[in-house]
Parts: sequence; C-alpha cells; structure tokens
Amino acid sequence: MGLVRKIIPQSTVDGPGNRVAIFLQGCNIRCAYCHNPETQAMHDDEAREMSVGELIAEVRKGIPFVRGITVSGGECMLQADFLTRLFAAVRDLSRETGHPLTCLIDSNGTIPFADYPQLMALCDGVMLDVKAWDTAVYHRLTKAPDNETVKENLRWLLSHDKLTEVRIVCLPETASVTTDVENNLRHIAEILDSIGKKVPVRLLRFRPYGVVGELADTPMTSEQQMSDYASLAQSLGL
Amino acid sequence: MSDIHSIVTSRQLSYEQKVVALAHAAEDTLSVLPMPERTRYYFDKGVICNLNEGNAPYRPRYIMPDYAKAVKQGVKFLQMAPPQDFDELLTFLQVLYRHVPSITTYPVFLGDLDALIEPFITDLSDEEVKRKLRNFLIYLDRTITDSFCHANLGPQATRAGRLIMEVDRELEQAVPNLTLKYDPAITPDDFAEQAIYTSLCVANPAICNDVLNRDTYDRYGISSCYNILPIAGGSYTLTRLVLPKLAALTEDKEVFMTQLLPEAMRCMADYMSARIRFIVEESGFFESHFLATEGLVERDRFVAMFGLVGLAEAANHFAPGKKYGTDAEADAVAEEIMETITAFVGQYECPYCEIANHRLLLHAQVGIDTDYGITSGIRIPVGDEPESIYDHLRHSSRFHRFIPTGCSDILPFDITGKKNPAAVLDIIKGAFSLGQKYIAFYASDSDLVRITGYLVKRSEIEKWNNGQAVLQNTTQLGAPTYASAHLANRKVRGV
Repeated sequence: MGLVRKIIPQSTVDGPGNRVAIFLQGCNIRCAYCHNPETQAMHDDEAREMSVGELIAEVRKGIPFVRGITVSGGECMLQADFLTRLFAAVRDLSRETGHPLTCLIDSNGTIPFADYPQLMALCDGVMLDVKAWDTAVYHRLTKAPDNETVKENLRWLLSHDKLTEVRIVCLPETASVTTDVENNLRHIAEILDSIGKKVPVRLLRFRPYGVVGELADTPMTSEQQMSDYASLAQSLGL
Repeated sequence: MSDIHSIVTSRQLSYEQKVVALAHAAEDTLSVLPMPERTRYYFDKGVICNLNEGNAPYRPRYIMPDYAKAVKQGVKFLQMAPPQDFDELLTFLQVLYRHVPSITTYPVFLGDLDALIEPFITDLSDEEVKRKLRNFLIYLDRTITDSFCHANLGPQATRAGRLIMEVDRELEQAVPNLTLKYDPAITPDDFAEQAIYTSLCVANPAICNDVLNRDTYDRYGISSCYNILPIAGGSYTLTRLVLPKLAALTEDKEVFMTQLLPEAMRCMADYMSARIRFIVEESGFFESHFLATEGLVERDRFVAMFGLVGLAEAANHFAPGKKYGTDAEADAVAEEIMETITAFVGQYECPYCEIANHRLLLHAQVGIDTDYGITSGIRIPVGDEPESIYDHLRHSSRFHRFIPTGCSDILPFDITGKKNPAAVLDIIKGAFSLGQKYIAFYASDSDLVRITGYLVKRSEIEKWNNGQAVLQNTTQLGAPTYASAHLANRKVRGV
C-alpha cells in the first residue's frame, strides 16, 4: 500500500504534457517555502492508504488524454518500493491499452536513486529539486544536515539519462531565507557541462499560497527578478 | 411596411446592415416555395426553422470556391489574371472574396490560406510577409463584417501557417475564423502547439480532426460555424429541426419517436428539397454566376445540411429528472433520437446532391440569437457539464459520430494552459482518437469569445448592449446569445 495525499487527474505543471499527478504523504525535510506543508507529516488523517490497483484505476480514467503519470509528494522516494510496483503496473496498463504512458518522479533528491536499480529501470525520468548549492544555505532552507546526496543524484541521473529537468524555487531577494539562485545555477551549469548533457532547468516562482511559517507573508517573487534569473541561466548556457 | 420603415430609420444598424436587411425584406415578399399544411404547422410551432434563409433563395447558402484553381487560372469575369507574386495574390484574393455570395452576403470560406500563400513567399523575409499579411487580415476583418467567415490551415506545417498565426496573435480579430486541420501523423507537435497557444491568446484557430473529416468528401473545407463542406461546392441550404419544440408537443416518447419526429423530418426534408430545386432550376445561379461558369464551383458538389439543435433538452424531456451529459438514461434517449434521425436521412432521397449520394447530411446546428433554453446541436447544456473534462469529451465523441457536416465543442480553458500547450494537445489527441470531430477553445480571460461557432469581442458586446452601432453583424447575434445561453458560465477547464 502507498500513502496518498492527493491525485490530480489533469496536471500541466508536473512534467511534459498532460499528466496524472499523484502526491504521496510524508517528507523527510522541511523547506521554508513548501507550498503544501500538509504533505510533510509521515501520517495524516487526510491521506489515504491506497493499493497499486486503486491508483491504476485512477490513472486508467486519464487514458487517452494523458501522456503519463508524475509521482510527487511529500517525498515520494520515501515509498520507493511502492513506486516500483506502481510503475510496473503502469507499464502493464500501457501494454493493455496500447496507450503509451511515461512515469516520472518529482523528488527532493535526498534518497540515492542509485540504490533502486529496479525502480530506475521502470522510471522514465526524474524532476530533481536542487534547492540550493551551498550546504549552509541548504540547511537553513530545509533543516536537513547537508545536500551531498542531492548533488550525487544530480550526477548519477545525468550520467544515466534519467534527469527530466532540474527545478529551482526562486525566492524574492527580500525574503528572510535565501536559496542563492545565482550560485546554484553556476554549479549546476558546471556539472551539466562536465558531463556534456543538456537538461532543462525550470525556475519556479515563489508564491506564498499555502506556505506556513516564516515565509508565509513573503510576497511573490517579482517578474523582473524571475527574468533576471532567466537571463543568468541563459548566459550560463542553461 | 413598418418593418422596412424601422430598418430604414434604425440608429443601431450600419449602412451595410440596412442594405442587407432591406434585401431580405424584399425577398420575403415572394412566396415561391410550397408550404403544405403540416409543414406550415411545424414552422408555426418553431419546430422547423429556416434560419432566415429567405423565401426565394437566389444563391446557395454556403459557397466553397476552389481558390487554388482560381489562383492558377485567374478569373475572367473579374478581369483578374493569375497572380505572379505575393502582392498580386493578396489583391487577387481580396477582389475574389468580395464577389463570393452567401447567406450573409459575405464569403463564409476563404480557402486553405496557408497553402494558397506558401508558394508566393519563398523569396520574402518573415518580416515582409507579416507586414503584408497584417494589412491583408485587417482588410478582411473590416470589410467582411460578419464572423461567419472561415479560413483553413494545415494539416501540413507551413511557414505561411506559422506567420498567419503570429500575425493573428498580434491583431486579435474576430474575422476570419481560423481552423487547423489536424492529423497527428502529419501535423508536427510544435506546429499544433503553436496553434493551441494562439487559440489561448485570441480564440483562434479551432482544431479540426482531419482524420475523421477528410473522408466525408474528396476535398473538404471548414466554413462559417465549422461546416464541413466540399471544396468547389458548398451547401444549398441549412434548415434545422428544433428538437425541444417538437418534444414539447407530447409527453409520450413513443409518440415522439414513431409519429412526430418522422412527420416533422419528412416535412423538413421536403421543404429543403423544394429550396434546392428552386436554387438549381429557377434562380439561375448555376447558369449565370461566374463561380459556376468558370468552374470554381460545380453544381454537383453541393450538399444540403439537415440541422438539429437542442438534442439535450429533447432527451431530458423524455427522461424527467435526468440530465443529458451526465445521466445514462438521458443519454440513451438522445442516442435513440439520433438513430431515428440517422435512419430517416439514410433513406430520404433529395434532388441535386450527387456528392452526398442524394442524401441530406446531418449538421449539429449551433443555435441563433433568439433561441432560449435550447442548447447548440448535440452539446451538453452550460451548467450540466460533467465534472471531468475527460468525461465531457468521451460524451462528445459518442455523439459526434452521427454528424458528418459539422459538430463541435467549445471549451474555455484556464489561462495556465498558455504555459503548457503540449498538455492541451495531449487532451485533443485523446479526444480525437475517441471520435471527437472538432474542438474550439479560448482562454477564460480572452476578450474574444466563441459564441456558438463564431467569435465576438466581449468589449463589442458591451458597446452594442449600450445601444451603439458596431461594425460586425455577429456582435448583434452574439450579444443576446452570450446572455441567454449563459455562456459566461461555461465550465472553465483548468489545465
């Protein structure tokens, strides 16, 4: 069984094209900017234990209108074994219906993908949150001790052609917490360059909706700042 | 007489609109079509409606000239030689469009615009082409003052098609309507996505399922309110059966299915046949009009559209408490009605419709400004849409299969769709694979809004409602329909 918080039958913001987005309950870090903090607790009354079969029934309703599923969270890799079974069942569903479906993971990268070869064989790609590069900045943002695993995952996914996109949330410069987007972009660009791969980097604009805690009253990141970051990313070849 | 006086003295009609209204009034002083007693009865009950086609038709309702042929051979009557460069082509088309008759007096079909233009722009830069296109499209919007006018794109991706869409996004015009003929095996995703993005900006183009429509005839085009008609032909007439008005005559479904519906259809079909005969045998159109004499239309390529409207309300009438679109019982009644109608047109022989095997062809008529409580064609009423867009599209697909000469759905999308046209394309691909034939959409924040098939600007509706004259005839039709059909309440589909 998997612990599922929410299913969106028609999502256009969780990977390429139209997808069924499945949000699992439970997260291992506590990002200050988290916009669905209700998914953080490992158990919650609003979350539902669901079998692979029950989820497949939901995915089936999206055929032929979706090109796949994206599993997000929380941190969905905390339920990696369930994901493996789910993705295998999605493959079967594809075969049965003749409608191709891809399986994507949206992850914070704190759990090493290299440890799950069976899952990665079934997974079409990972959307990896590289929240910040500097360890201290990352710790301040997420309460996690360090981000070494995230960096390892970035390299591993790149070299195994499993990185769909890199995601960075951009806070306004005036916020009490920083993600140091510039430093982050530079290091990501360097790694992409060294491995010789092109992967889209998606800059996500911070919005305070749903956010609790110290950033709850922080305004949305300005358009200007977003376009400055976009120009920087472009100048770095991203 | 008082009608004519009020036309002449109107402050809300433009000069051109007065001229057209006066011509209609003059035509309606004749009565050349037979009107048997039961036919008269169904007309009086509002069951059969001739959509103000006039009492003495002197041209087919919809004409689909073979523009490619015209460009190749020139038009003698208009003293226009075949165009040799892009400027000449645009002038040629402007002149020709001006002389294409229709029920609205304006051309309802402008051809496969991208294919017409493509060979003429090879030596021109994008900027040069767009500058000329901009002027051309502004000319069309300001002189074809009626948005029942349609140009087609695709299914091939072309540079011309791309540039037309770019200019269309800049201009935000109601005329012409554009439709992209879409075949996933031919149309590349990036071209289709550009079309979707454009549509979410300016409610154009709509997307036509090329795979399901292209075998209707040898060559088809989309005209007016998404009519699927033969190129080099058209449709003599579009008369419609107003199903809810017929249903209102009985509470007994058996009586409806076995007596009223067959009788009303027979009356309507005979009436349509009489119209066709008058156009072909009496009006002289095919002997004298240059489009016919120069081979740009051919008499045997015309069809006649047997329109239906309000399937939803008729089905609901015989499934009390149930709703077409979400209740199986109402849907089953609707299907039974459609099968009865299909069987009738399958056996009724009409004159002069060779390309349709001498049959009238079904059309999901979208409604007119005076309809109240009557939903377009076979659509689900606003407010009754299924919660899931997937269920909505599955439902449409089930009913689109009955209709060869045009049926569609119109969906307003949440504006986030603009950021991910690929997602909207996934939905369209899915719907088309199930049997959906045509889909139009617009962004929920767009000034341009699709009324029943045509486009109107919400800002122009405001003006008309305030008693000001407006350029487009269709604003006058759209303003009451926007209100009475509660179109502002169409279910917005989040993407």
